[in-house]
Amino acid sequence: MNLVSSTSAVPTARSRGLLGCECCGLVSEAAADAARCPRCGFALHQRKPQSLQRTAAYLMAAVVLYVPANTLPIMATASVIAGHESHTILGGILELWHTGSWDLALIVFIASIAVPILKIAALALLVVTAQRKSRWRQAERASLYRLIETVGHWSMLDVFVVVLLVGMVRFGAFASVEPAAGLLAFGAVVVLTMLASASFDPRLIWPDPADDD
Amino acid sequence: MQATLRHLLAGIGLVGRRDEASAHAHPELVACEECDAVYSRRALSAGDVARCPRCGSILGRGHVLAVDGQLALAAGALVVFALGNVSDIVTLDLHGVHSPVTLYESIWSTWLSGEHVVALLAGATAFAFPLAVILLRLYVLTPLVAGKRVRGFVPALRALRWVTRWSMVEVFMFGTLVAIVKIAGLASVIPGVGIFSYAVLTVLLAAIHSAGLHGLWQRASELPA
Repeated sequence: MNLVSSTSAVPTARSRGLLGCECCGLVSEAAADAARCPRCGFALHQRKPQSLQRTAAYLMAAVVLYVPANTLPIMATASVIAGHESHTILGGILELWHTGSWDLALIVFIASIAVPILKIAALALLVVTAQRKSRWRQAERASLYRLIETVGHWSMLDVFVVVLLVGMVRFGAFASVEPAAGLLAFGAVVVLTMLASASFDPRLIWPDPADDD
Repeated sequence: MQATLRHLLAGIGLVGRRDEASAHAHPELVACEECDAVYSRRALSAGDVARCPRCGSILGRGHVLAVDGQLALAAGALVVFALGNVSDIVTLDLHGVHSPVTLYESIWSTWLSGEHVVALLAGATAFAFPLAVILLRLYVLTPLVAGKRVRGFVPALRALRWVTRWSMVEVFMFGTLVAIVKIAGLASVIPGVGIFSYAVLTVLLAAIHSAGLHGLWQRASELPA
């Protein structure tokens, strides 16, 4: 079966006056862009409305908050032995590394540093190329989007680690852990990048010939 | 009042607006969610995965698990979830002082320390949304096994789509492991029933999620409302 010879020849829902429901997947024939899915009632769109603008807005907010997320401490520890200490995300990773847990250090590095940066960079690339209606490496960009959707929520790892440490280390004056302001900024970056990737419409990676003019 | 509420819910996609014209359905077609290419729908046998030849995204899966199997998974998940939340995740032993820790206590301590938003975020993604995923699945699947479509099927399935996205049991599970390693220098850590329950829950929820929602929409649309 020779399904794809040239990408422009692929029949799309849009080119046939059909709409695929983003919620339940049903394909229907739509009179107007404001129609509702006959099965689930979800608003039908050829493309998510203002997808690129909303994605870009969430991304910019994420970039701004990325700075305090990484420079402010995410938790503060107090103990009889070590006194008061503040810990940033990078500091926590270095600590894991120095105590010999290089494997966990690597995983936390990937979840907390690499994934947010790659997500922001990848979504920025997707927004810019979609805006230009680029046909550059469409299949690879589609895979990139799927990768972001899959790994996105793993950045929440450090938030859970701190919340658990706060719950675990409650030995009064002897030792305690408190969350700090950077954690809120970090959590916000994770949520904002997830909202950004949910706002992006991957169908924009595949512009129709109708989009060209 | 009711109209306003309905309008608000429609705004966040939980219920449909009824005041607009609906479209003519084509259940014999399938449109790729990621690139909009249209194909004719084919029946898939169990274990088959249909991918879009253009962009590679998954168009549909053949059911490995029938509806009753999915119901069994959801019921199992509810039991493990309850167990994971009433038992200790770990017990810390600091020079003979035992301090058991549950998920609830961790979130409450975070709340008391003043980081309310973070506490809510953790409570939602590790507790409330996973619970909602399980309960909504049970609510929808139980009548479906008997060949009936539950009242409120559409809003339930829509809510399910939303909470599934924000449920992060597997990340929480991994976060526990990292926290245990970080704390190992300070006190000795005895793993509790809670962490094993959450490990099992991670597996069960992954199996449930892989069944997807389109199959349920499909099945329910074949039944009388």
